[in-house]
Amino acid sequence: MTIKIIEVLITGLLMGGLYALVAVGLSLQYGVARILNISHGEFIMLGGLTTWALYTALGVNPLLSLAICGPVAFILGFVIHRTLFKRLLASSASPAIFESNSMLAAFGLMFILQNIALLIWGPEIRGYSYLVIPVHFLGTLFGANRLLTFGLALVIGLGFYLFLSLTRTGKAIRAAAQDPPTAGLMGVNINNVLALCFGLGAAMAGIAGVLISMCYPVHGVMGLEYTIIAIIVVVLGGLGSIPGSFIGGFILGLIGSVVTFFEPGLALVAYYVIFILLLLVRPTGILGR
Amino acid sequence: MLEVQDLKTFYGKIQVLWGVSLQVQEGEIVAIVGPNGAGKTTLLNSILGLVRPTSGSVTFLGRRIDGLPSYAIAEQGISVVPESGRVFPDMNVRENLEMGAYYAWERRKEALAYVYQLFPRLKERERQLARTLSGGERQMLAIARALMSRPRLCLFDEPSYGLAPLMVREIFEIVQKIREQGVTVLLVEQNVRRALEIADRAYVLENGRICMEGECTELLESDHIRRAYLGM
Ligand SMILES: Nc1ncnc2c1ncn2[C@@H]1O[C@H](COP(=O)(O)OP(=O)(O)OP(=O)(O)O)[C@@H](O)[C@H]1O
Ligand SMILES: [Mg+2]
Repeated sequence: MTIKIIEVLITGLLMGGLYALVAVGLSLQYGVARILNISHGEFIMLGGLTTWALYTALGVNPLLSLAICGPVAFILGFVIHRTLFKRLLASSASPAIFESNSMLAAFGLMFILQNIALLIWGPEIRGYSYLVIPVHFLGTLFGANRLLTFGLALVIGLGFYLFLSLTRTGKAIRAAAQDPPTAGLMGVNINNVLALCFGLGAAMAGIAGVLISMCYPVHGVMGLEYTIIAIIVVVLGGLGSIPGSFIGGFILGLIGSVVTFFEPGLALVAYYVIFILLLLVRPTGILGR
Repeated sequence: MLEVQDLKTFYGKIQVLWGVSLQVQEGEIVAIVGPNGAGKTTLLNSILGLVRPTSGSVTFLGRRIDGLPSYAIAEQGISVVPESGRVFPDMNVRENLEMGAYYAWERRKEALAYVYQLFPRLKERERQLARTLSGGERQMLAIARALMSRPRLCLFDEPSYGLAPLMVREIFEIVQKIREQGVTVLLVEQNVRRALEIADRAYVLENGRICMEGECTELLESDHIRRAYLGM
């Protein structure tokens, strides 16, 4: 019994690490750049399918894909912000109008990216096996791939936290999240910071996609589910709070794992229930104000 | 040093500034006084690029700065202590100060030492989140943050608003001290008496127009000022 509980908890934490990464990415885009990026999950999907394609066609190690997909997704996100969202921002009369316009634009982006992926890879479910070596851990068995992805998610999350706390650019991002006009008065080029945040969010999604493909099958329409999970986690953790998103990811992972233990297939339903309860009881989230 | 010419600013269809002109010479303290809603904050925001004036010009050290984004205006050496301080609530005191040196990052260590010596209380609270500071401390932080870049010109938007008399006095002393150290000051104030006492010249802004200007000693004598602003 205890072994079972430990197993459920560890499974939850492993999943939670991935959720945390996905949610921190969305938190940057929604909390700082004010774009509820419905296409967030598509960057995950692209990361996953690219990794699969590189692995099966060329034998590229998924860890190398990480170093490819992260930067490419960053550039893609940065350019999309520079060309699309920056213009929307300039033409929106108020922040509220920008939020709704940018969400619609992100919807469009979701269909475009999804269809590009379907054109290239088709609708089939793709998977490969990488490091599926059983590892004994506290009396339970886990695949080495799962532990590796968890470790990487933690390291990336921690690295990003240090970046935000210690560097000049990280501080500018936090200042811009709290008060954009005043950050501008300090000499921060807001448009650059927003594009940077959108690009970093996309990079996190791309990296999460690579990690997910190491453990789970991937396919062209997998994105939306992750987008929804990310939105739930961001609200759970508190809008605009990046540590909140990180913690929220682990909480949701644990909940998902417990629910799946009793009734597989109900995890997503449980997420929605939590989401609705949360909106009713504490709409500001765990660390929100 | 700063020259504002015939500035007109709208919010949508509503005109707030109706052709404002003013000048600030290097080394001066210039005050802007006027009733609530006169457009004082709008005037500062128009200078800082936060709102776009529809016509008129702003020249700083001989260069046109109207139309520039606000980060580029800041980089010219213009700092601001915004209305109610606007410190970054979820950053600690030190991080707030570092943001003030954003475009002068290499010199932030010296700048920190300089502002800590002006405001020893901030040094004690270095690690405290700005949201947990008292109103007076927050205002000090906003002033210290504005000095971190070692600006040529510093704009103040009602720095004494809502503060107790002792704190108000301290703030005005600091404004004078800053000027002695070579920073030119443009000061918007509700506390008209104090403002006119420390400034060299002043402009009176009413309904979006400059209705009086002159040396502070003269303005303190004028009937309009005495009646409308000093309650005499
Ligand atoms: N963002 C805005 N949108 C629309 N109208 C605005 C906006 N900001 C200010 N106004 C209006 O412009 C006028 C001038 O406002 P402003 O804040 O410049 O006055 P002020 O002189 O700074 O007043 P106070 O002494 O109360 O700070 C007011 O009538 C105000 O309602
Ligand atoms: Mg004002």
